[in-house]
Amino acid sequence: MPDNEGLMDRFVDRLPETAFFKFVAARILTPLWAWWTPVKPLPGGPHPSFQHGDNVQCMMNLIMPLKDKSPVGRAHAAMAISQHKDAIFAGLNNVGTVHFARFVIVGDNICMFSVYDGDFTNYIRDFIATIGEVFDAVVGLVEGGEKVIPCDKNVEAFIQWVHERDLYQVPDTPTDFLRDQERLNGDKAVAPVNDDLTLLPRKMVLQLRANANVSLGSGYRAYPGYSVAQVRKQLGLGW
Amino acid sequence: MVDPPTAKRLVQVIHDNLPAPVGERRPVHTIGIGVNGRFVASEVARSYCIAEHFDGEPVDVSIRFSNGLGGLEQHDGWSDVRGMAVRFHLKNGTGSDLIATTLGEFFVRNVDDFFKFSDTAKREPFRRRHWLLKILDFLQLKIPQRNPYPGETQAIDAGALRYANQHRFSQLGIFQVGLIGAPASYARASYHAVHTFWVTAPDGVRRPVRFYWQPVAGVRNIKPTPEPCEKYLFDELKKRLKRWPARFMLMMTIGEEGDTLDDCTKPWPGTRLRIAMGTLTLTEIPEGEDQATAGERISFNPCRLAPGIEPSNDPILKARLGAYEVSREMRGGCPFKWRADNA
Amino acid sequence: MFDLSDLQGNVLRGYKDKPYVRYLILEIADRVVARRWLAAAISGRDHDVPQITSGDWGKAKPRTCFNIGLTYEGLRALGTPGSSLAMFPNEFIEGITARALKLGDVGASAPDTWPSPFNEPKRIHLIATIYAENVAQLDQVQQRALDRNALTLLGMREGNNFDGDFVHFGYRDNIMQPRFEGIHDPERHADGQPLAPLGTVLLGHPTNLEGLQWRVPQPTQLGHNGTFNAFRVLKQDVVGFENYLDQAASDLLTHPKVDEVLPPGGELKVCEVFEIEPPSRHAALREVVAAYLCGRWRDGTPLALSADMPDANVDRAKFDYDESSRCPYGAHIRRCNPRGGHIVQRVANNSRRLVRRGVPYGPAYKRDKSGDAGKTEPERGLLGNFIGASLGAQFEAMSCDWLNLGLQDPRITGSNDPITGTNDPATSWFDLPLKSGGTIRLRGLPEFVSTRGGAYTFLPSLSAIRYLGSLTA
Ligand code: HEM
Ligand code: HEM
Repeated sequence: MPDNEGLMDRFVDRLPETAFFKFVAARILTPLWAWWTPVKPLPGGPHPSFQHGDNVQCMMNLIMPLKDKSPVGRAHAAMAISQHKDAIFAGLNNVGTVHFARFVIVGDNICMFSVYDGDFTNYIRDFIATIGEVFDAVVGLVEGGEKVIPCDKNVEAFIQWVHERDLYQVPDTPTDFLRDQERLNGDKAVAPVNDDLTLLPRKMVLQLRANANVSLGSGYRAYPGYSVAQVRKQLGLGW
Repeated sequence: MVDPPTAKRLVQVIHDNLPAPVGERRPVHTIGIGVNGRFVASEVARSYCIAEHFDGEPVDVSIRFSNGLGGLEQHDGWSDVRGMAVRFHLKNGTGSDLIATTLGEFFVRNVDDFFKFSDTAKREPFRRRHWLLKILDFLQLKIPQRNPYPGETQAIDAGALRYANQHRFSQLGIFQVGLIGAPASYARASYHAVHTFWVTAPDGVRRPVRFYWQPVAGVRNIKPTPEPCEKYLFDELKKRLKRWPARFMLMMTIGEEGDTLDDCTKPWPGTRLRIAMGTLTLTEIPEGEDQATAGERISFNPCRLAPGIEPSNDPILKARLGAYEVSREMRGGCPFKWRADNA
Repeated sequence: MFDLSDLQGNVLRGYKDKPYVRYLILEIADRVVARRWLAAAISGRDHDVPQITSGDWGKAKPRTCFNIGLTYEGLRALGTPGSSLAMFPNEFIEGITARALKLGDVGASAPDTWPSPFNEPKRIHLIATIYAENVAQLDQVQQRALDRNALTLLGMREGNNFDGDFVHFGYRDNIMQPRFEGIHDPERHADGQPLAPLGTVLLGHPTNLEGLQWRVPQPTQLGHNGTFNAFRVLKQDVVGFENYLDQAASDLLTHPKVDEVLPPGGELKVCEVFEIEPPSRHAALREVVAAYLCGRWRDGTPLALSADMPDANVDRAKFDYDESSRCPYGAHIRRCNPRGGHIVQRVANNSRRLVRRGVPYGPAYKRDKSGDAGKTEPERGLLGNFIGASLGAQFEAMSCDWLNLGLQDPRITGSNDPITGTNDPATSWFDLPLKSGGTIRLRGLPEFVSTRGGAYTFLPSLSAIRYLGSLTA
């Protein structure tokens, strides 16, 4: 037995695993701390960067709650996508910067996940130009969507709306997550500072309360740094 | 390069912070094991770097795996950084070294930081945190301080945390050290060389790069227990290599404009070009006197590099050139040729 | 025909005969007085504050021109209603400094290194531009503009056009501007490109992206016919540029394929055009490199039409890009306007065009071959205005995906614009295309242009100025 370990020590070490503590942490401590030390939601999408590698193979993770939360509502969403398959594929080809795009229904959300090159607003704007009609069909089924359709007449608002539904991308390192929080609060210091690293769990908990859905890390890339057109050109597929 | 007195001081500071003198041994990464292996570069490696060991011909390699802690006691099961120092043997009898650890970044940017860190992060008495305080931590949704290992009465944890709280650049390294755990095998961990190096391609183009090793068998830690096993890594490796050689992939990330080239506290993101440079196969573990040579007397230096690879201006990398030589001399380590003519 | 009298004159005109340009960077000192100032500026009474020059000069050409742009903070300071403010696009609301990463304003260009008055972006409310025939006129207009104490002068920037429309680095500029549907433009002759819809430059009109319209801030008087401007103080490292040409020419001289970029004997013609004495292959290769970087020889000849030598007889404006074009994919003018050429974002052809109004600042540079290395050079650069109805869809889109990154063509992706890009000599590269198909890669391009200030401004129509002048809240 490790030296001087008592019954209470052993009990307290296991406390976080107990149902009681989990309940207290989730239902009492978290709301309490959220009220006492409020945390702002962090913005979604890739972290702004001027560097090349960061501006190809960017991720979009859209989670959009359906208005009609029933099998019928979900079927509507499924239909909206499948009916427009031709339009979607033609649009993706002509926008020219999309590696992968997937549509998924999770719970009562319609989700769009894609990997694209370049700036997010350019990507969505070009999309509105090519498949605005599909966006209208899908977004019309989503909570709050009616405010921003038809998208080609509400370009700025639509892009903003999509951006707001794009998940926050939690950085790959815990400290970059802290830097995100600090940046949001206008704090750019490096040293000397007066931080408390042991607060990281609470900061993470409160952030996940403010951003309930997030993307974890910037994702894995098998061939980072290459654009769609570079891959297609190299493979002899035309671009 | 740092001046010789500074190099001496760097090593002295490490010795001064040891729980007990280590005699003529390394003051950090004291416990280690020497292994022989072969490296075969991938077919693309030579188009990025003209260094001899990337030309595709298999090269002999000496490897030393180590536990990061300084001190003569072996604590394999403790959460600790592990080292993997590699020497590629070149045809003319010289070598090219690559020293890496399981930590993806360092915790200080330069020599000044290092001394300040050493001042702050001194060994202090380390006791179990009282359970009442731990409950207080839980109520604040904080991580309580870890429990001491059996027999562990002193640690630098508190000082390191103090330093991290004051210096954001150090937070990642210090935080990761806390989570690092113990590997199931030396052959089941990733090792990062953290500094930037410049590699020269056959067409003369120089690129800033960072290297790391990834185990083909995959990364695996043991489950932490309150009373960890003190010695298993050497035996594990011996058994493993008797059954089957263990392999590592050497990966090289290419930096782009805007990436930090001279600050090893900042890892590069995964969105940079990543080149598979080759495969290292661990073949055998020398026994007896040969092990003393391979595991103890051998001495590495992160600035001993084959033509075609150059150190960056990272002040830590530059300081290590002198510090590792000082340490080698202090412990009577085997000098190794820097040049074929030994000049 | 579209009525130009509601537009500020600088949107569609270059004021070519007024080479002296001064930018007054102003803060609104008093909201009420400033509104009166605005109203007076379009009162039509000449003895009043300087009159805003409209797009319709009538019979008498004004001797000086005067135009204004307002930042978001400026609109707020004037008391523009919140509901109107909220309808302005995000990038304008955030302001140029918040967009630094998108624009490549990092390192030596980072906003926190900008000198006064650009170090306090929130105080910049209004940028007034004076165009005149000489400095005395600039002073006069400035004094009249400031004498009511409506505005506090935070700082100014001044430049003047060089003879022959040359800019620092020695290129002929002001060749291309978009030509607009429904606008009579005698200054510009056909360039073979489709006419740009008016919505490229004015809010409330159809844009080049089929069916898309930008939001017009309401009330209509405020937003309609307005446009946005990215004002940029772009410092040019003239010595660094010339040195790079030297270095690249020396490298090329020994390149086995150099004859493909400069045919044997071609140096005579090149040196003749640029009056280089004595002619040499090295001197000519410097011009070749300069030409490839820009896509035009320094005299304006487009590489697309004459890659082997500058030629005053070829059309400077009318050309297009195709796979056989000898203009590098990465050349400045091809990046900024790929015209009808094949690009990755097929729907974006012609959609990111900009009206450009620029004037050099700092003395013209005379290259001194004796190489007085220690001499400190005065700051030189370009006071650039990049005008379009959507900063996001035009200026920013061009900056982040095309000038930097080079997403439009897989052969240049991962490289930055050779002239204005955020380059680092350690990693930068630029490919010279060869007739035989291959390329010669130049490396080590430094950052020739760094940003030393700027602001996103709204260029209101005259109705909008009237509206702002009549606000009461
Ligand atoms: C200023 C910073 C550093 C100092 C002063 C320092 C000092 C030392 C010293 C004195 C030794 C013993 C050398 C010998 O006697 O042969 C050593 C070994 C080692 N160091 Fe460092 N070190 C520093 C930074 C790093 C970094 C950034 C890494 C990460 C890659 C690292 C990884 C290692 C490893 C793996 C060993 C064991 C090498 C072996 O097996 O022979 N060190 N260090
Ligand atoms: C100091 C920096 C710059 C210099 C020296 C420069 C120089 C030039 C020159 C010499 C031309 C050819 C003249 C012409 O076609 O009219 C040109 C064209 C052009 N530049 Fe720049 N430029 C600079 C910055 C920029 C920036 C920052 C942008 C955009 C964000 C830009 C956009 C354009 C466009 C759109 C054209 C016209 C291309 C065409 O339609 O063919 N320039 N520039």
